[in-house]
Amino acid sequence: MSAALASPASAPLALEAEGLAHRYGRRRGLDPLSFRLAAPGVVSVTGPNGSGKSTLLRILAGLLRPTSGSARLVLGGETVSPAALRLRVGFASPELSFYDELSAEENLTFAAEARGLRDADAVVGSALERVGLAARARDLVPELSSGMKQRLRLAFALLGGPALLLLDEPGSHLDDEGRSTVARLVDEQGKAGLVILATNDEREMRLGAQRIELRRRGLGDPA
Amino acid sequence: MGHSESSSGAAVWAILRKECRSEWRTRYGLNAALLFAVTSLAGVSFAVGPLGDRTDILSAMLWVVLLFAALSSLSHAFVREIEGHTLTLLRLVASPTAIALGKLLFNLIFLAVIEAVTVPLFLLLMGGPPPGWSRFLAMLSLGSLALAAACTLVSAIIAQTRGRGALFAGASLPLLLPVLAAAVKGTRAQWQGGAVGAEASILLAYAAAVFGVSLLLYDHLWED
Repeated sequence: MSAALASPASAPLALEAEGLAHRYGRRRGLDPLSFRLAAPGVVSVTGPNGSGKSTLLRILAGLLRPTSGSARLVLGGETVSPAALRLRVGFASPELSFYDELSAEENLTFAAEARGLRDADAVVGSALERVGLAARARDLVPELSSGMKQRLRLAFALLGGPALLLLDEPGSHLDDEGRSTVARLVDEQGKAGLVILATNDEREMRLGAQRIELRRRGLGDPA
Repeated sequence: MGHSESSSGAAVWAILRKECRSEWRTRYGLNAALLFAVTSLAGVSFAVGPLGDRTDILSAMLWVVLLFAALSSLSHAFVREIEGHTLTLLRLVASPTAIALGKLLFNLIFLAVIEAVTVPLFLLLMGGPPPGWSRFLAMLSLGSLALAAACTLVSAIIAQTRGRGALFAGASLPLLLPVLAAAVKGTRAQWQGGAVGAEASILLAYAAAVFGVSLLLYDHLWED
């Protein structure tokens, strides 16, 4: 599949994929995909279960090496190195878990310090505030509800103001107020950088001005 | 948003602090390792009494106790990340090299704590001759470094497998035999007033080689 989304070549931040594909052994994870996206903007990635939405986001986050093809984040005309990718990309997905023995705040502080962010306490405080979790910052992770853990994932993704924000099912477990928070965050981030949302939720799809639709049947199609 | 000058150093330091804090709050490995070391020493002491000048047995026993205390706990370095599903978080914030260094440093500190309890107890209960402290501590430090380097690597390799507990001991033991042999030989030599330079070199080279291999492997170990 090829999703060619037009964008100006001179944009300071761009995400390019060329023949990007992945296989989990014999099973197809992501069919070949090519695109070029430029900031600012919000892009929805849609498709049935197993079509490769999460796989695509994991590849873009640097968590998964594609079986074939390549993807690169271009900032100011230069390709961002894998090491620098950690500082430029925010990632949240349902699979993201935190340390149970640490509080919400301690988990984020660890992440901010490990990334080498200056003034980690302020960065963490701001992220928790933005997702509405400041009041529960000192609670241990097991004491948080599913929705609060999802807010914590969003706060993690926002740490340090990433240029590229990758959100996999960002509204899962969230109540209406939480979903409004997601919409506001996506809108804010989309004005400054690039946001890619993997979702099948109609409300979240509408947050994206552009859409990449993965059309394969999904559910572990082996061939 | 600004980033510090040395993000790798910051990542290593953050991982080390996180590991220490997690261990302090959960006592995940410390209790098991200390319990093993103390009970095995007490049991042997009750059974055979002080060994006096049997430095060959003393040195072997010291390292066997330290080895198995380490094996009972050092695998947790990465297993805990897998079982807690936190490896994704860790990979998103730090490079494989920083993770490897942070985990290795934590395992070294962990071993130092175990040894701070075990070694005085060992000397007290087994009644060995006074060690030549500088050479004894050199063997202890280098042996621990080699032990920690190997256990950290094996822990990373087996973390995502099924039956990882049994695999860790099974995969570690053959890898650790050179460490055990050099450490036992060097420790015995220092008790007998001999030189320990050759054994120290072996342990140092072993630790450096294992850590070098680790840096090459870590980048590929955790991909789906």
